[in-house]
Amino acid sequence: MTDQETAAPSRGAFARWTADLAMGARFAVTGGRESWARTIMTAVGVGLGVVLLLFASSAPNAYELREDRGAARSTFDTGTLDELKAGPDTLRVADANTTFRSEDIEGKVLAPDGNQPPEPPGVNRVPAPGEMWVSPALKKLLADNELLRERLSYRVVGTIGDSGLSGPADLRYYAGVDGAVFKHDKGQRIDHWGTQPSNGPINPGVLLLVIVGCVVLLLPVLIFIATAARFGGERRDRRLAALRLVGADSHMTRRVAAGESLCGSLLGLLTGGLLFLGVRELASKVVLFDASFFAADIRPSVPLALLIAVVVPASAVVVTLIALRGIAIEPLGVVRNATPRRRRLWWRLLLPVLGIGLLLPLAGGFGANSSSGDREIYQAAAGAVLLLVGITALLPWLVEAVVEKFGKGPVPWQLATRRLQLSSGTAARAVSGITVAVAGAIAIQMLFATVEDDQTRSTGQDPFRAQMAATLQVDNGNQAAATFAKYRATKGVRQVLGTTSGYAAEAHPKKKRATEDSPTESITVADCATLREMARLRHCSDGDVFVAEASSDMYAPDEPSFLKPGVQLNLRLDGDGVPVTKNPKLWTVPRSAEVVKTKTDPQGSENPGVLATPGALEVSRLTDPTAQVMLVLDPRVPDAQEYAWNTSATLSPTMDVYTLTSTSETNQFATLRKALLIGATATLLLIGASMIVSTLEQLRERKRLLSVLVAFGTRRATLSWSVLWQTAVPVVLGLALSIAGGLALGTLLLKMVNEPWTVDWASLSLMTGVGAGVIVLVTLVSLPPLWRMMRPEGLRTE
Amino acid sequence: MTPAGSLLIADGLHKAYGRTPALDGAHFSIHPGEVVAVMGPSGSGKSTLLHCLAGIVTPDSGAVHYGGRDLSKMSDAQRSSLRRGEFGFVFQFGQLVPELNCVENVALPLRLNGVKRKEAEARALTWMERLEVADVRAKRPGEVSGGQGQRVAVARSLVTGPRVLFADEPTGALDSLNGERVMELLTEAARETRAAVVLVTHEARVAAYSDREVVVRDGKARDMAGVR
Repeated sequence: MTDQETAAPSRGAFARWTADLAMGARFAVTGGRESWARTIMTAVGVGLGVVLLLFASSAPNAYELREDRGAARSTFDTGTLDELKAGPDTLRVADANTTFRSEDIEGKVLAPDGNQPPEPPGVNRVPAPGEMWVSPALKKLLADNELLRERLSYRVVGTIGDSGLSGPADLRYYAGVDGAVFKHDKGQRIDHWGTQPSNGPINPGVLLLVIVGCVVLLLPVLIFIATAARFGGERRDRRLAALRLVGADSHMTRRVAAGESLCGSLLGLLTGGLLFLGVRELASKVVLFDASFFAADIRPSVPLALLIAVVVPASAVVVTLIALRGIAIEPLGVVRNATPRRRRLWWRLLLPVLGIGLLLPLAGGFGANSSSGDREIYQAAAGAVLLLVGITALLPWLVEAVVEKFGKGPVPWQLATRRLQLSSGTAARAVSGITVAVAGAIAIQMLFATVEDDQTRSTGQDPFRAQMAATLQVDNGNQAAATFAKYRATKGVRQVLGTTSGYAAEAHPKKKRATEDSPTESITVADCATLREMARLRHCSDGDVFVAEASSDMYAPDEPSFLKPGVQLNLRLDGDGVPVTKNPKLWTVPRSAEVVKTKTDPQGSENPGVLATPGALEVSRLTDPTAQVMLVLDPRVPDAQEYAWNTSATLSPTMDVYTLTSTSETNQFATLRKALLIGATATLLLIGASMIVSTLEQLRERKRLLSVLVAFGTRRATLSWSVLWQTAVPVVLGLALSIAGGLALGTLLLKMVNEPWTVDWASLSLMTGVGAGVIVLVTLVSLPPLWRMMRPEGLRTE
Repeated sequence: MTPAGSLLIADGLHKAYGRTPALDGAHFSIHPGEVVAVMGPSGSGKSTLLHCLAGIVTPDSGAVHYGGRDLSKMSDAQRSSLRRGEFGFVFQFGQLVPELNCVENVALPLRLNGVKRKEAEARALTWMERLEVADVRAKRPGEVSGGQGQRVAVARSLVTGPRVLFADEPTGALDSLNGERVMELLTEAARETRAAVVLVTHEARVAAYSDREVVVRDGKARDMAGVR
């Protein structure tokens, strides 16, 4: 045999495959309106899935680019003003962040030491005093809001370039100020911008959330793509039967079917790619989880994009070939196996058991050992995937086993359950997407419940007693008094609780120790109304002094305090808080001073130490005093907070101002929660869409039968209810299975991070509610076409 | 033509699908217990006439009277109720619900009329026995032969005791032997129950089972009584 002869058969097989696939592709586009409809449906379905996959594969890139740009403008690892010597290439910089109507604006004030200061990323030159560079989003916000222009009253000299921004919606500015802003050691001195991106350890619970979240959101997308590849399958099978009649063998028909699917999925890939490019542009205009992304940042990593380009069409072909397994396409029609082979349980159970097997060994120790981090992540991801995929594999068996028991009941119920008995696979396949999403979401919510406890902390603040607070280092008591007066004159401020505080040491300590080890105590000077917010006072009038002892252990001193009525104090301390014994500033706590217990102030703190009224102690005697205000705002004044912010900005751009809230949650947690909500909603909508398409397709296939049923008087309601039951039965079973699977996965995940078992029943109810919503939605959308198909025109054959 | 004692009378029916006229002034009448064959070439309007007579399709003009009531004046729900209770239907193909087994298919019209499942299936079985298909009662339509399936459909059309049976090419998909057996059983059962049968066919062999023939051509129905 020559080489040529041996090569011939393989080339023949290749040529046959190519020719048959091409014929299938031709059928997909040349079969008239019907073919086009089917191909478009598949393309759109696959395209939607591809868009989600492309976005998912872009997420790491997009976040990394954001992080890199964030790191490039950071001054995080630079020291204080003293740590770097001033030079021609150094720059003083301080945070000057503010909030405008709940929008956080990040700002920095800059003052160069010389003539070659380093420029922040995206900025051509360091702004001179009174000048400011702003991000495009801030520029717009400034243009629209007079109140904000009052606060950031610098002259805008330029727009920060993209390289200096996290995203298009970034609210950021760099303002030039004179050196006075940096007194009291405020800010830093730098000779360059940028730090290494931080790779700090992530909470194992959060890490697990991210892994399971990705699995939960992407698995249904893959299932949806598989479902979309089967759209219009029944009609296609009949077309293939016609091919058999003209001589095609069964292998050829399968290859032709594969070609049709391949064409649809390739078009889907193209559609998805184009949609991705379009949506990417739109995405740059959207702020998600307080973050925005430049369109250029949203680009999938090349290996992942290639993987999508190969896996999506390949899986469409595989899915088609698997779907054709259960039917015989004969020349005279399509014969479905009258009694489909009973589904086997053992391998379906094997998957979740394997998943549990992978997850169980991680119980209690996940994330504890950093050296085995990567292996643990893969093990956890594989375990979660197997468990969730196992649930979807169990679903068809469960649906079959349960509907087999049904039979009795009203006509709509009978029609629905018999339909499911005959072919439960289609329904189970569609529902499996919901099952993964719901099971995963329940598990994630269980993790959330514990992560929430870890990450949502009570601030201890009481926003009912005061709504804002601000702190300013002042030069003397007069400046503090002027600060309080400015706030009192601010529109929308109802009351100012102002304190001026400093520190004091014992003038004649009994215990001998090094001066720098001398204990100090706080001295707070305020009027009686303010002091009443800080201590339990029975009476108070100007001239009174109190010695406040901490109510809680947290504020109690480690050793007995020297502070008591009659003790003499040295008010002169140096910049490091060490008493200056030479030429001390002496003041004696009056013997009449009452010893009282502290009270938690509206900021959630206790202030043990000396509490004095202005009549008893001149604030000017305090060294390096700090003025602090707590503001009670008038709720009837809409922008009261903004007016207070504006007043703060006139006092100092670097002043610490904050709004009092009772709880705070870390951004990481809030972002994940929103991501899950949006992801789960998108997934459920996607699955709902595929169920609608399947139901409509099924109805179209039965158009003639529906007309016959109408001919002998079947009511609309009978068939409508049957559609509802036909959707509801698999969805309800799917939900039951997903609740069981979700609780099992959640329990395992909690064990892995050593957290107690808790279930967020509200979320669980919400998820099941959403599932029920999908049933209703699919039914409602299916009704108008159902009624249309019940018209007698369906009986016409000519 | 409205002969006295007619159960179902159609008068001057006009029906068009788009610009294509299907019926163009057709007249028809049938007496209780009578079997009338509606014949004609493909596209002549036979099936449209049957659909109008059964109240499935509303004619553009003309009237159909059943038991003294004008069908065109009845609501959709009233016509549906009439079809459920008084009429029976047999079509050429695609009429059995594939998910239900044969006895459930036969019992379906009774169940739609509110009869309890057990009773409906018992009555269905009686008819299946008469039509010689009781042995396939537990099988699904896909598992029985064409002839058996058609006899199941005939049993279903008779199970409610209809006063008029509409049969549209009932043997069109069957071989001659099966076709004849189906026709024998159908006409026998109809005569026994005094049900009128409107039989649409283009086969003379099938029409031979009728008492009278009406030929539809170009949308007009011509009674062949006396011609044969």
